[in-house]
Amino acid sequence: MHLTKIWNRIKEAVRDLAYIWAEEMKMCIKDEGVLIFFILVPLAYPLLYSWIYNNEVVRDVPVAVVDLSHSAESREYIRLFNASADTRVAYYCNNMAEAKDLMGRQKVNGVLHFPADFALKLNRGEQTSVGVYCDMSLMLTYKAIYMTSMNVASAINAGIQIEGSSITATTERDEEVTTKPLDFEEVPIFNSTEGYGNSILPGVLIIIIQQTLLLGIGLSAGTAREKNRYKSLVSLRTHKNGLFRIVGGKALCYLMVYSVMTAYLVLLVPKFFGFTTIASGSDLIGLLFPFLLACIFFGMFVSCLIRYRENVMLIVVFTSVPFLFLTGISWPVASIPGFWQGVSWLFPSTFGVRGFLTLSSMGGVLADVKVPYIALWIQTAVYFLATCIVYQVQIKRAAADGEDGMAA
Amino acid sequence: MFRKLIDIAGRECRLMYRNTIYLFCMVLLPIFVVVFFTTLLSDGQPVNLPIGVVDLDNTTTTRSLLRNLDGFQSTQITAHYTSVNEARTAMQRGEIYAFLYIPKGTTQGLMSSTQPRVSFYYNDVVMLAGSTTMKDLKTICTLGSAAVGKTKLEMLGKTEDEIMTFLQPIKVDLHMLNNPWANYNVYLSASIVPGILMLFIFLITPYSIGTELKFGRSKEWMQIAGNNPFIAVLGKMLPQTLIHLLVFYGFEFYIYHILQFPHPGGVLPIMLLGLLAVLSAQSFGVFCFGLLPSLRMSMSVCSLWAVLSISLAGATYPVFAMDSFIQGVAWLFPLRHYYQCYQVCIFNGFGLHYAWVHWVCLMCFMFLPFFVLRNIRRAMLEYEYMP
Repeated sequence: MHLTKIWNRIKEAVRDLAYIWAEEMKMCIKDEGVLIFFILVPLAYPLLYSWIYNNEVVRDVPVAVVDLSHSAESREYIRLFNASADTRVAYYCNNMAEAKDLMGRQKVNGVLHFPADFALKLNRGEQTSVGVYCDMSLMLTYKAIYMTSMNVASAINAGIQIEGSSITATTERDEEVTTKPLDFEEVPIFNSTEGYGNSILPGVLIIIIQQTLLLGIGLSAGTAREKNRYKSLVSLRTHKNGLFRIVGGKALCYLMVYSVMTAYLVLLVPKFFGFTTIASGSDLIGLLFPFLLACIFFGMFVSCLIRYRENVMLIVVFTSVPFLFLTGISWPVASIPGFWQGVSWLFPSTFGVRGFLTLSSMGGVLADVKVPYIALWIQTAVYFLATCIVYQVQIKRAAADGEDGMAA
Repeated sequence: MFRKLIDIAGRECRLMYRNTIYLFCMVLLPIFVVVFFTTLLSDGQPVNLPIGVVDLDNTTTTRSLLRNLDGFQSTQITAHYTSVNEARTAMQRGEIYAFLYIPKGTTQGLMSSTQPRVSFYYNDVVMLAGSTTMKDLKTICTLGSAAVGKTKLEMLGKTEDEIMTFLQPIKVDLHMLNNPWANYNVYLSASIVPGILMLFIFLITPYSIGTELKFGRSKEWMQIAGNNPFIAVLGKMLPQTLIHLLVFYGFEFYIYHILQFPHPGGVLPIMLLGLLAVLSAQSFGVFCFGLLPSLRMSMSVCSLWAVLSISLAGATYPVFAMDSFIQGVAWLFPLRHYYQCYQVCIFNGFGLHYAWVHWVCLMCFMFLPFFVLRNIRRAMLEYEYMP
């Protein structure tokens, strides 16, 4: 007798859960605003971003040359500089004023300046210099011009050194050792192509998941609130009185939609464009499952604080860029001031992106993302409780309004 | 006509005063964004990035090399590992950004002139950290090599000048124009923050027009304007323009005057650009609403446009390196022209005519609303709000 009672209650709870789940699901498809943010944006936006960053590296940065030396040595430098992958000599100028004018017209991003005594000094056995002027409004072109000019200089220097050391050295090997007593090798170990897309895109993908969830959940909650008779978040129908059933049913619906979307985002999109993905399936699921849950409950919690459905866009859209910066993907975590590091721990994206980079871009395993993993579960628990509390308040308010309504 | 304008503007002020979302999105959140980015990037350059060391040689020579490395400003040795594998795992966990590997027998090799080899590994997943640590590690390796060569040359009786010439016959004399510190605060705050300020304008403009429909005030609004959509929109936008301008100029005053970001272009382009940024963003917002006279759709389009524009402005990844189709599309984003005008006329201090195309483009955005005024009028008088 007692057992059947419990059994019936469980059955009822599951039925209610499934009912709310189905209702929310219908809502997602019917409401075009929700549909845009749940389906369209996650489908199209990653493709757009991948396309933007698809070329990965900056090649052939145009540079102007002011060669006042007109010597074989300066021409050798220019030849090597032009032959480098990252830069090209676009213009030859007679003086710096001309080169500056070209820079103002954005025809070139930098200037090489060879002083008149460039070769003279070199042949006299003095140190000579080449002036490199970089436009600092684009860091990637600055890096390309600066690194190339350094590399060309050291290549030419090595040749000169070997010639010079033949006076003191006895063998060819001795020459090599004198010019470079300590050899070194530089190894870019992850993201070895130094591609911009490979670096920024994993972060963008994870941020897209979180932001579209926030927007979609917020819109759906806003609509629910506007449509209800008492302007409250949860309506008082017989089926919807269990707190956990409401929260759980809605969360299940979002989880269902986003399991598919996330799989598309982290597995298919990088495949389409050839971005690095070296994570194994089970590790990805291990990290992204708590990430999705944390995002969903975070979204449900935030959605309760918003009155009209459109306000959610005003509040959420701009946060994408600050969220991206807080993850440490463009500005290293070690340099983020302590206060902002603390703030960043409030958001699922911070740990989602950091964990995803370890797994997907650096080939780590789940054990390597212990900190993000635990943090995401803590966030899930905290935001779940917070959601329950705000929903409880809403239900109570709805009930009170309902009684008032009947009394009146 | 003037009377009607004032009426609508006054009505708009009352509406904005009553709805706190305007206070948030036009003043408080923009201020927050300015404070966020300028404090987040206040270091300018990454300092003390954690790097690791795998020193299997462990001699006075290698230790002195490591001490020199630790003295560098942008890197800091935070851990010693006993194997490359351990260091690699630490890198995957995000504990260090790079490590230096010194194999056993390095010092011995240096003494016996057999050209030993050390390696450094850096992680370009976070590109800025990767390139910064790479630069430091490369410098220390070059210096380490040079120190040995120097000792040998001193032994042979060469003078200091001769040694320097021998070690580095051609020196690269680098001039980092207008931002000699490679300060990322100057670089990013001046390009991303305006993007987000414009994002708010993009959103709040269709929001304010669309809510007329939503709250059933649209007919009243049109009536005050005598059913003239031009007066209606202009009157509605005027008070908003003033607030946006105040915020934008406040931002510019803060970064150029208080934080002293480089601005050799002077005050004129700064003021002009601020004005055009606000007006073009507002016009774009009105245009979007006119095109899709639904609160939700126009705001969705505006938000997608605004977020994309931060990438397509080409401040972080240059536009000329993108696919040619995207290069063309970038012209449709006001922020792209803003950034071009900024970098040519303000940051690099060239005359206004150097970027005239982009100034003109920014102004063209201001004509967009005229194409959709009739649409807005029809929407306001005939449409009903559907949630």
